[in-house]
Amino acid sequence: MAVREIRIYPDPILKEVCAEVEADDHEVDALIQDLVDTMIDAGHSVGVAAPQIGVCKRVVVVDVSNSKLGRENNHGLLTMVNPEIIRREGNKTMREGCMSVPDYTGNVDRAESIVVQFNDRDGNRQVINASDFEAVAIQHELDHLDGLLFLDRVSSLKTDIFRRKK
Amino acid sequence: MNHFALTIIGRDRPGIVSQVTEILFNHGCNIADSSCSILGGQFAMILILAHPEYTGRESFGDAFAPLEEVELSVFLRTLKPGGETHPDIEGEICMISVYGSDKPGIVYQVTKELGERKVNITDLNTKLVGSADKPVYVMMLEAVLPAGTSVEDIEQMMKHLKQELQVDISVRAITPVEL
Repeated sequence: MAVREIRIYPDPILKEVCAEVEADDHEVDALIQDLVDTMIDAGHSVGVAAPQIGVCKRVVVVDVSNSKLGRENNHGLLTMVNPEIIRREGNKTMREGCMSVPDYTGNVDRAESIVVQFNDRDGNRQVINASDFEAVAIQHELDHLDGLLFLDRVSSLKTDIFRRKK
Repeated sequence: MNHFALTIIGRDRPGIVSQVTEILFNHGCNIADSSCSILGGQFAMILILAHPEYTGRESFGDAFAPLEEVELSVFLRTLKPGGETHPDIEGEICMISVYGSDKPGIVYQVTKELGERKVNITDLNTKLVGSADKPVYVMMLEAVLPAGTSVEDIEQMMKHLKQELQVDISVRAITPVEL
């Protein structure tokens, strides 16, 4: 159990494609705990991906249940190992920021609703349908596993000068 | 570091940005924030520059003469210390779209109401679209609301402007999310 330091761009790990987690990987449970601890420590942010704490593996945690935008529609704490989005529908634009790219936000278009499959913390295969803010958060975190930042997806530049509200 | 605001405008054509930035590069200027866009047939550049030694307009000498020779207008302003850092603007962000058949005073009437309520406009774009006989005016602005003013308050305020100006107005909150 540990809160880990959030890696900040231009740390090269943020641009790497992460490796699949092997079935016999015994370090994953500790990694998940570190991700959860780090997420909660960061003012309960809504998600953290493994590369953001310096581990190049396909693991993310997402929890939008504590945020105003996600409170009404969420799956609680999601721990996703080897996640994959298998269906995307609709369109939703949100102004995103990222702990790994401080002091900068941008409008990003993403699917409004997704079906995502992953292994949970106990190794069980799960398939869920997420929508709205939770879907946006999952897509943002999964992008980290492919070395993509919201800067790679930003749709408008001109209004991005604001610091996010802490 | 000393900071400068540079604005350049002239008839649009390919190559303006590289011509300008080549000069800046050769003088050892850093470009910090910048925004450049086509407005009408003109290309307009606004840049915040930093230079370790230059202190004022005279430091640049006749650096911009080649631009003026090709009919670009150049204006340089020396910033007072601190003038390069944007203030930490706290508050709810809202986006307002105003559009309708063109008539005088759309921008003024809308922004006057906002200014009176201490709403800070942080981005504003207008465009004249539609056909020559039926021109349509579009204005998009983004603003930060002062404490105590809600997006609903702005909506209410815009409702009467909508009547008065006979334009369509929509107001929506923008919530930046940290992921």
